[in-house]
Amino acid sequence: MSVLGLEAERTAGSAHIAPVAGIGLPDGHELWRYRDLLYFLALRDLKTRYRQTVVGVAWVVIQPLAMMSVFWLFFGELLGLQSEGLPFPLFVYPALLAWNYLSGALNEGALSVTSHAHLVGKVYFPRLVLPLTGLVTGCVDLAVASVLLIVLAGAYGVAPGPEILALPLFAALLLLLTAGVSIWLSALNVAYRDVRYAMPFLLQLWFFLTPVFYSSTILTGPWRAVYRVNPMASLVEGFRWSLTGETAAPALSLLPAALVALLLLVSGLLYFQRAERSFADVV
Amino acid sequence: MRAATSAPGPLVRPADAGQLPGTSPRIVVEGLGKRYRRGAAHRRESLKERLGEILGLPGPRRDEDDGQFWALRGVGFSAGAGEAIGVIGRNGSGKSTLLRLLARVTAPTEGSACLHGTVGALLEAGAGFHDELTGRENVFLSGAILGMRRKEVASRFDDIVAFAEVGPWLDSPMKQYSSGMYLRLAFSIGVHMESDILLADEVLAVGDLSCQDRCLRRMEEAARSGRTVLLVSHNLESVARLCPRTIYLDGGRLKLDGPTEQVVAAYRADLATGQVGEDPSHVAG
Repeated sequence: MSVLGLEAERTAGSAHIAPVAGIGLPDGHELWRYRDLLYFLALRDLKTRYRQTVVGVAWVVIQPLAMMSVFWLFFGELLGLQSEGLPFPLFVYPALLAWNYLSGALNEGALSVTSHAHLVGKVYFPRLVLPLTGLVTGCVDLAVASVLLIVLAGAYGVAPGPEILALPLFAALLLLLTAGVSIWLSALNVAYRDVRYAMPFLLQLWFFLTPVFYSSTILTGPWRAVYRVNPMASLVEGFRWSLTGETAAPALSLLPAALVALLLLVSGLLYFQRAERSFADVV
Repeated sequence: MRAATSAPGPLVRPADAGQLPGTSPRIVVEGLGKRYRRGAAHRRESLKERLGEILGLPGPRRDEDDGQFWALRGVGFSAGAGEAIGVIGRNGSGKSTLLRLLARVTAPTEGSACLHGTVGALLEAGAGFHDELTGRENVFLSGAILGMRRKEVASRFDDIVAFAEVGPWLDSPMKQYSSGMYLRLAFSIGVHMESDILLADEVLAVGDLSCQDRCLRRMEEAARSGRTVLLVSHNLESVARLCPRTIYLDGGRLKLDGPTEQVVAAYRADLATGQVGEDPSHVAG
């Protein structure tokens, strides 16, 4: 009915409303129709996050820079942890980029449904855009924080080799993994508010189980295999390897990592889709 | 009367109420019902409780049937293109639940509804407005939340702003807006959304009289241009002006469905004699 012909973009089909049961995956077509919402929510978060801060977007760089400096000083210089032949800052920073993407997106995503309770109870839209918004804003933060990596690489004279071609693969896996965990946590947090309190602590544990400031080569024997259950271990090493070309490539260990990431995503989508029905009543 | 009425009252039987001849109905609602558990919004099951349940530990016992009530039950009606229908009833009669179900905010417990065409729902003015963002930014954000594409909002942007009369403030943060400006902008986005079906809840209660008047006129235009409008309101004058047909809900049941004049008169009579059903939230289901 629109003269501008814009209506065709929205489905002119009919909606059948009935009690829902069983399990299934979220409607991908509908999510796609709401892609502008994802864009504007991410834009809102980016704008409001920095509009009232003094140094603004510099926070995105200051935080990993400070962390890297502390690791460098304590673990590199004082404790003398080995860094697989790389200068310590360059050893830590690529891994930190990957880790910060995950933790940043989870911090946003886990509380996303509950923090939008007023919307969830009043407006229909695919609720899945809420935990996904943090993935988008995280990409912007990651891009800004990457500037420092270029500075570091230049300072130490380390140029990435052909390994960098593998970076999109690691980035994609990181995206899948982060999406899976974020979707899980956001839906869980509606039913169990414990998530909010457990998450900082669990993230911290996870961080120590991920080779960000140490090299996984310090692990020996069967521990190496057990360690690989953590998909972040292989992803972080993948980032490090593809960006510097110096460290060992996470070749076969990438398979279990990809499997875990995929499993988390699919199960997360199934759980979210099921839990979503009562969001408006419970949240 | 399609819905079972438990309470006797002056029945008005619409002959397939108001449906335009030769058009298939836009909205078909059959036996729609929604059961809530009282306090569900306040009682958050903690992980500890759940774990206790799984392990069989004694915990705070919960009677499963306790506090369940039907906010809406057995409601059925249909509406055609170009129809404007008012929905009236006391607080807690199920009006908002009906709209929330039709807007797909929540799923029904039983029954079904079919909506043919695009649906625009205005259940809350200013959905998703963020105080730190400017009016301009909020128009796009709120539009997206209501299901509009960016291009759609952009093409109607000038109309939205003109209707809301917030031109000079467009690039100021919304926290500097007066409540009137805030609500005008909120409503303006909603009514400029092109949809075949418009669901509106109490939105006319906002703004001053001139604003209410323009909002009503806007909805009249919507109905005239072939859209189906469902208006929930406590303002019987607004309903009478906009809607030729009205649905009267009482205690979660459809009590009357017919010409507004008769339905509103029956409702007024019920109010005067106190002949209205119990608020379902006080009745154990």
